[in-house]
Amino acid sequence: MDQFTHALTMLVTTPVVPAAIGGLIWGMLGGAMPGLSASITMALLLPFTYTLAPMPAIVMLATCYIGAEYGGSIPAILIRTPGTNAAAATVLDGYEMNRQGRAGEALGISLWSGVVGGLFGLTMLILLTEPLSRLALLFKPTTYFGLGILGLSVIASLSSKSLLKGLAAAILGLMIATIGTDPISGVSRFTFGVPDLLDGIAPLFIMVGLYAVTELMTRTGVASNIIKPNASIRVRLPRFPMMKRIARSQAIGCTVGTFEGLMPGAGGTIASFIAYNEAKRWSKHPEKFGHGSEEGVAGPEAANNTVASASLIPLLSFGIPASNSGAVLLGGLLIHGLLPGPRLFEQNADVITGLYAGSFIADIAQVVIGILVLPLCIWLVNRPKPYRSAFIFALVMSGVFTVHMSLFDVGIVLSSGLLGYFMKYFSLPFLPAVLGVVLGVHLIESNYRRSLVLSGGDFHIFLEDPIAIAFFVLAAIIMIGSLVNEWRAAQAQRASLA
Amino acid sequence: MRRDLVCSAVLLCIAALYYLAATGIQVSTLEDEIGPRGLPTVLAALLAMVAIVIGVRALIAAPAGVGAAKEAEAHWLRSLGMLAIGALYIPVATVLGYWPALALLLVAVPLYERMKPSWRMFAVAAGGATFFWLLFDVVLGVRQPEGMIF
Repeated sequence: MDQFTHALTMLVTTPVVPAAIGGLIWGMLGGAMPGLSASITMALLLPFTYTLAPMPAIVMLATCYIGAEYGGSIPAILIRTPGTNAAAATVLDGYEMNRQGRAGEALGISLWSGVVGGLFGLTMLILLTEPLSRLALLFKPTTYFGLGILGLSVIASLSSKSLLKGLAAAILGLMIATIGTDPISGVSRFTFGVPDLLDGIAPLFIMVGLYAVTELMTRTGVASNIIKPNASIRVRLPRFPMMKRIARSQAIGCTVGTFEGLMPGAGGTIASFIAYNEAKRWSKHPEKFGHGSEEGVAGPEAANNTVASASLIPLLSFGIPASNSGAVLLGGLLIHGLLPGPRLFEQNADVITGLYAGSFIADIAQVVIGILVLPLCIWLVNRPKPYRSAFIFALVMSGVFTVHMSLFDVGIVLSSGLLGYFMKYFSLPFLPAVLGVVLGVHLIESNYRRSLVLSGGDFHIFLEDPIAIAFFVLAAIIMIGSLVNEWRAAQAQRASLA
Repeated sequence: MRRDLVCSAVLLCIAALYYLAATGIQVSTLEDEIGPRGLPTVLAALLAMVAIVIGVRALIAAPAGVGAAKEAEAHWLRSLGMLAIGALYIPVATVLGYWPALALLLVAVPLYERMKPSWRMFAVAAGGATFFWLLFDVVLGVRQPEGMIF
């Protein structure tokens, strides 16, 4: 009850409300623009949060994620082009509804399902995060090292078709993390006499470069086949009988979204497709799926909005992000010196309460904001692609400069874009690299070295910690499983070619 | 297959260069058991191992069949051109200042994206640069690069 009263007081005495609304609007506009994923939208916002206090900064990033999930469904329904990957399943029935002249209804169902999914995900977040983070009180430096290795192995295994490429990307990220002053001995590493590198490379620059600049580079000159949506379309929220009809599909979406949100590497895209399939399987009218079914829109939208909140559970409890968007949010936490885990709940309780209050406001406010922002989203989608690219580039250049008032940082971001371009060319996934940069020094290296300092250089210390052993065994099982799956897929391909 | 072989070679080169740079890290009297060179050395060795396995697998794997349709992507030279526009922004902003550099960027990108030059394009660039200047310098109070001229 005290916490509830505290949250209510916070709404009036702190900038939670403007931060939540600002993040939500930014997310909706970014999510609605084809080519900008939720993580790119968040990465573009990241430099602006640098100058803010920790609480509004984290609220803005989290609500931006919520907004981007709804924003992504707008072009999915109107022009058959999902604004975010997670909205891909919404195209199946959403666009069909649009073709039948029911675009406003589809947008309304998407919006309402987003509210339901968001509130369900937030409830799970509030209920599960703190108890789970208490587990981390048992953690020693060896356990944290094991956790870091487990996190990287899971992401490397799941974020790409090839474990080896996931591992290569993770190692590249760890290599970038070693640039700067060594945290234990104070010796500079890989700075080559450049003073700007002494503090290392902030994960924020790597994220903006990998996600935003790489996208600008790979899509330049590629013709945009976007159909112009009708600017007069308005959102029609579902009435009570329709709410009842889509409730089962939403419940399935919420359940799937919670499980997928908890699993590193899964994310909203997988959740929305699983939710679509399950909603179809349990529907009284499965034959309508693919032909403009309201349930076919409700399930995936509830799922990807549940993921937006549920994916924060492993992130806030253990510091392991489940998706690209989670990695950007982790970057936001670290920028403000906030380390996920139980201490975050004790020492920065205001940030957590603000995050919960801000997410709640964003979930509720998206009904109104979604209706108000739709014409602006349609206007943005209708702008010529060259102008969109130019303004995103200008935003990257301006936003990055504000962090340290340094053009050197702009150069770092462009270099990260180049690295991202080659990673994309060689099919090396971004998420393990980002995670390597974020977890590299503060979780993996410092805990590894701290463990050995404690043991006087004796490696047996890692075998004396049962939780760390469990993490190493789990990491090994996941990697072996991933290799076996790859080998089977290669055998199947060989057999089909023979 | 060829792309994976090139990937393997590039990763091996990165591992070798990183290792060479790691050997140059100075010795400190405050060093612990592992030292500042410990992790970099392990990372270089791991990357080299992963690169070799990627290369070997590319050599022995079956030729790729018909894969999933890939998104349309720009030619690599065109992509590098876009990056060069961004890189040019740095010296231009240093000399001319924020507003002119941004206006030039807002003209250069649409032109590079094959948009026909028109008065509208220049008006959008000028308006856009003014919008960003107002947003950062005036509303948010965040300084942007000051050039030698503006």
